[in-house]
Amino acid sequence: MKEMPQTVFVVDDDDAVRDSLRLLLKSAGIPCEVFGSAQEFLAVYDAAQPGCLVLDVRMPGMSGLEMQHEMNIRGATIPVIFITGHGDIPMAVEAMQHGAFDFLQKPFRDQELLDRVQRALTRDTENRARLRHTDRIRERLATLSPREREVLDLVTQGKANKMVAGDLGVSQRTVEIHRAHVMQKMEAGSLAELVRMMMAVAPRQ
Amino acid sequence: MVGSDNNQVSATIDGGSHRARTIIVAGQSSQRTREVLKTLRGFTNVIWPTSLEAALEQSGAADAGCLVIADDLHEEPVDEFLQEARGLHRNLPIFVITDPDDVAEAVSAMRNGATAVIEIPPSYAALREEVARAVQ
Repeated sequence: MKEMPQTVFVVDDDDAVRDSLRLLLKSAGIPCEVFGSAQEFLAVYDAAQPGCLVLDVRMPGMSGLEMQHEMNIRGATIPVIFITGHGDIPMAVEAMQHGAFDFLQKPFRDQELLDRVQRALTRDTENRARLRHTDRIRERLATLSPREREVLDLVTQGKANKMVAGDLGVSQRTVEIHRAHVMQKMEAGSLAELVRMMMAVAPRQ
Repeated sequence: MVGSDNNQVSATIDGGSHRARTIIVAGQSSQRTREVLKTLRGFTNVIWPTSLEAALEQSGAADAGCLVIADDLHEEPVDEFLQEARGLHRNLPIFVITDPDDVAEAVSAMRNGATAVIEIPPSYAALREEVARAVQ
């Protein structure tokens, strides 16, 4: 799959802010698209598009925090940098608790914003790589037979073949065969690798 | 006597969930730390360990309810201590107290693993509410 270029999406109702951010990002060689409202952005945003979001907190219509909520519902993983002229701690805490990457008060220095944008873009790249990795693991898991899945769950709990055989009421030889199939289908070179794969797809607390 | 026996029985049945969880306060001896301790006076199980190491260890105890970082620490920067605590105790509620309106510090604390950041003064009630939720 071809990688789409990273884009910084700026959502702010203030024309002057949009213009200055566009110029700033352009001067740093970072592709950027600007939007005057949350609705305008949500209408065109495709979650597969990598990059980051620079989002004003206070906007008429849908606020930045409401838009963040909407993005969370849509399962968008793009890092969000909030910018605001009248930030307070409860607002910042709320935004961060809902997964914001950063929260910046206006006025800020150009370099400060660029640094944070770069960090957010790096985070987005990492997130997407991790998601691709877990997607591949899930695809492989889906190819296992129910019995192979049982064997996988038991061996990744640290059980030896003999114990697995006892738990499942089959011979040790049968467990060995299932286990070999599991390793092959999961493309795991070792038990440790298999355990890491299962941890990567385990639901988070 | 009978009453206390009954309490004992119900505590056992509930797996001890009625015992108050510990609130661990970290912070140097300062006006703000004292204010935080005063704010938490209504809670039964507040401890203020003498070192950060001890605070980290107590935070790992089975009955740890939450960690409150009340003020700057002598031994290391708050964000470093926070990262360490979060790394060791994934699910422990950790509250960081800051000066009012220090948004940058609050954001930094959130990025480093704080559950919430509370301004003291003026958010005494907010601190009590967060802590009550964490130890119930």
